[in-house]
Amino acid sequence: MAFASKSPWVIHYDASSCNGCDIEVLAALCPGFDAERFGVINTGNPKHADIFLVTGSVNERNISVIKEIYDQMVEPKVVVACGICACTGGIFHDCYNVIGGVDKAIPVDVYAPGCAVRPEAIIDAVVQAVGILDEKSKALAAARKGA
Amino acid sequence: MTMLGFLILFPLAVGAVLLAIRNNAARNVVVVASALVIGLASIWLVAQGLNSAAPARFAFSSTVVDGLCTLVGIVVACVVVAFGVKYRNALAVVLAAVQLVGSLVFEFGFAHGAHVEYALYYDQLTLLMVFIIGIIGSAICVYAIGYMEDFQAHEPEGAPDKRPTFFALMFVFLSAMFLIVFSDHMVWLFTGWEVTTLCSFLLIAYTRTEEAIRNAFRQIVMNLLGGISFLVALYVSLFTFGTLSLSEFLELGQAYPQLAVLAVTALAFAGITKAAQMPFHTWLLGAMVAPTPTSALLHSSTMVKAGVFLLVKLSPVLMVCPVPSALLTFIGAITFLFCSIMAITQSNAKRVLAYSTIANLGLITACAGIGTPGAVWAAAFLILFHAIAKSLLFLCVGTAEHHIGSRDIEDMDLLFDRMPSLARFMMLGIMCMFIAPFGMLMAKWATLQAFTEAGDIALVLTLAFGSAATFMFWAKWMGKLAGIAGQPKNVELSVHSSEWVPIMLMAVLIALGCVGLPLISLNLVEPYLYLVFGELAFPIGLDNLIIAAVAVILMIIILFSGLGHSTARRANVYLAGVSVDNNERTFRNSLSGVTQATARNWYMADWFPEKRLDFIGTAVCAAFIVGIYAMAVYFAIVLF
Amino acid sequence: MQVFITILGCIGFAILAPLVGCLLAGLDRKISARMQGRVGPPLLQPYYDVRKLLEKDHVAVNSSEGVYITFALVFAIVAGGIFFTGGNLLMCIFVITLSSLLFIVAAYSSRSPYAEVGAERETLQVMAYEPMVLLMAVAFFLATGSFQVSAAFGLDAPVITQIWLAFLGFLFILTIKLRKSPFDLSYSHHAHQELVKGVTTEMSGPTLAKVEVMHWCESVLFLGWTGMFFLWGNPVSIAVAVVVALAAYFLEIWIDNNFARVKWQAMLGSAWAVALVAGGVNIGVLMYL
Repeated sequence: MAFASKSPWVIHYDASSCNGCDIEVLAALCPGFDAERFGVINTGNPKHADIFLVTGSVNERNISVIKEIYDQMVEPKVVVACGICACTGGIFHDCYNVIGGVDKAIPVDVYAPGCAVRPEAIIDAVVQAVGILDEKSKALAAARKGA
Repeated sequence: MTMLGFLILFPLAVGAVLLAIRNNAARNVVVVASALVIGLASIWLVAQGLNSAAPARFAFSSTVVDGLCTLVGIVVACVVVAFGVKYRNALAVVLAAVQLVGSLVFEFGFAHGAHVEYALYYDQLTLLMVFIIGIIGSAICVYAIGYMEDFQAHEPEGAPDKRPTFFALMFVFLSAMFLIVFSDHMVWLFTGWEVTTLCSFLLIAYTRTEEAIRNAFRQIVMNLLGGISFLVALYVSLFTFGTLSLSEFLELGQAYPQLAVLAVTALAFAGITKAAQMPFHTWLLGAMVAPTPTSALLHSSTMVKAGVFLLVKLSPVLMVCPVPSALLTFIGAITFLFCSIMAITQSNAKRVLAYSTIANLGLITACAGIGTPGAVWAAAFLILFHAIAKSLLFLCVGTAEHHIGSRDIEDMDLLFDRMPSLARFMMLGIMCMFIAPFGMLMAKWATLQAFTEAGDIALVLTLAFGSAATFMFWAKWMGKLAGIAGQPKNVELSVHSSEWVPIMLMAVLIALGCVGLPLISLNLVEPYLYLVFGELAFPIGLDNLIIAAVAVILMIIILFSGLGHSTARRANVYLAGVSVDNNERTFRNSLSGVTQATARNWYMADWFPEKRLDFIGTAVCAAFIVGIYAMAVYFAIVLF
Repeated sequence: MQVFITILGCIGFAILAPLVGCLLAGLDRKISARMQGRVGPPLLQPYYDVRKLLEKDHVAVNSSEGVYITFALVFAIVAGGIFFTGGNLLMCIFVITLSSLLFIVAAYSSRSPYAEVGAERETLQVMAYEPMVLLMAVAFFLATGSFQVSAAFGLDAPVITQIWLAFLGFLFILTIKLRKSPFDLSYSHHAHQELVKGVTTEMSGPTLAKVEVMHWCESVLFLGWTGMFFLWGNPVSIAVAVVVALAAYFLEIWIDNNFARVKWQAMLGSAWAVALVAGGVNIGVLMYL
């Protein structure tokens, strides 16, 4: 049995955007929704996090930051692109310095569109991410046994 | 008896030979061979005397030796006067002259009447010191071979090679230490005492820089005060008890404590100066300018131990003699607390070691002041483990200094990678100083118990707060050493083997001492307690000692074979941004520049202002000493 | 014989303390959530967290950190084994201090800026609480005539009747030892961002799991110390001790939720002042009255 789904610790990062999605993400994590019911903890530390919530589009300046945070997260890990900017670049997609969605920098597992992304969408996406996390966790365990 | 004579005279002879040898290779051979001989002889003697029910006393008295002692006293005083005149230090000249006149008057005016039949002796406490002097002392002499070679290489071009004097002084010092611990004749003991003072003076002044000379004179002035006090004790002992034998003096003192007040106070004062207790702690701090083997040998493991050795010897009298006992417990406790706290504020490794040495000597002094069997048990183990651990630390710092070019703890960053073995030895030494289950902490445990049983709340409080401060300054040093990042260049490959051997020997001694603590207690310390007090102490139960021994073994395994073998995949450290070079801890800052994350240790200088604490401690202790001394003199006058 | 009992005690503690500690930690999170008007996670959430951490990949910033942490856990268990078999209180204190030291050195060894600051603060915390812990042991010795914890069972009345002042002092530093706000300077269970995660910043996966288990063991041990004040020569006293320990834990949770973190100066100053007054006066009374 995988325990990853019972204790998904998240880290959030706001790439370039209007910041609206990031506010929604934090709002979804605040005590009002009590995400801790499901074991969700907002860590500020990639080494402790399982789910990476990214908002906003990727540009020349922040692509290396996103990559570094992702690299420092320990397997198994899941990336959720929150909001349309994070999914595709959104309204900023043809700005001179914007590269595009988060998947231009790191592999994305779940896309949660919206402008700004609705809390329901975020929660849906996290639920989906948790499932993927479990699968990855099982795969890792199997690989470890095999090795 | 022959062995005693051999241990006193052999180092002296070696010293004379070394003075004549100018060839480095020949000197190295002589030093190693004689260190080996002294070490083996010491081990043989210790093995002989273990468990003996009575002290081994030797009927030996010689007017020739008495005369020689007087001669040595004159020579010591003359050397000090000569230096004092050369460097225009009036105080040293005056004190040396006072002491010279005092001892000459004593020798030719009064001392004829006193005859000491058993002038040489040894008991288990002596054997403990013999072990320290013979094994640790000679190991440090071996270490000095490699160290002084590097030292000479770091000297400016064309500087005179004074190594013959250096090594001669080291061996003469060993001889004087043996004289101190073997003599029951107090005049002989006093002679050894003065010779160690002089050796220390000459070794501190070794580089002849302005600072060295200044600190050397501070040392000699303070220790001459102690010497004069010792002389006072000789006079008083002769007048009141009519004896110059230490053992007789102790017996009579126990029987008639009110008569012994002044003599014991005077001896306690001498011990305090030698053990660098506040207000005399500044000489030991200044002595750190001397080459590191000197600091290891004289200023941490042996010479300062002569001071507390005398105090521990006095403990049965101190137990029944409240005036000097109050002096020692007060001075010891204040010194322990203040110096532990002041050590937090230091980043110079040798100064941290010096403060910690003074603090631990303070603890031993306080234990001697209480004078109960439990306290003496604690004092004996504090002496032993402090000598081993501190000399290990001094040797490590000395070697590190020559290879990383600094003795600042901040510069010891990454030593775990740069000098992997040395850092581990240093960490072992540090742990032995401040963390259970290592020896010092077991001794501190006994100290806490002794303080509590003595019903002295001030001592308990100072020990509690002082220990907390001790944790702080050792832990942060250890943390600095433990840092690991990247693969910096290993710089310890060029360390001389003459430095490795003593370092490893100390490490082995720590391991053996900590694991074998119950055996040492049973065969050496408890018999001594039975001899002196007629009772046993056993402050710590055997089961706890066994748990501690197992934990020590575990810690040593972790340190020397557990660390560095984890198979986990390596990751970079988190720098909250984009790393430029993770090993260097540099990251891209918000203006696209490169910033390095740096961290210094905490020194808390605004919480613990060194100058002010130093002033308060010095003032309080000085006032207390004057008060107690005055009281002792008053008692003596009233009694006559 | 005592050594043998201690070994058995260590094994027993290694099995039971994580169970109890895990439930306590779950209770902590549940009660905290209720105090904040939330439902909170399931009671077994700490267990799920640790299981998840064990499932994660094994990654470390250096090859030594994990070793230090493993042995910090081992010594925490040994300290518990010594205490709960009625062993020597001072030995227990020394061994748990050794465990703290290894924890600190592990953080230092990572050379992460955040972990290093955390380690320095942790060192400071040890310096802050150590005097009171030692004075508590001395007070216990003066009241019972022995450092053996089992000596408490030889008393006619619980030791608290003589050393209630030292107990209050101990409660004060218990907040530091359990790393509860306002004294959670080095590391906090809450999502504090200023030091990232302080001491544990660089610890991940199984290493972090060991740290969690170590904290469970520490909580059980420190609550054991709390209960020790209420033991006397009557088996009922064990129940009393358990109730008091739980009440003390509830008090700590309440404090945790109601006070903001203080600066280190306030922590060191207040902890030393409390130790001096509570410990000093209590010991003075026992020694001289």
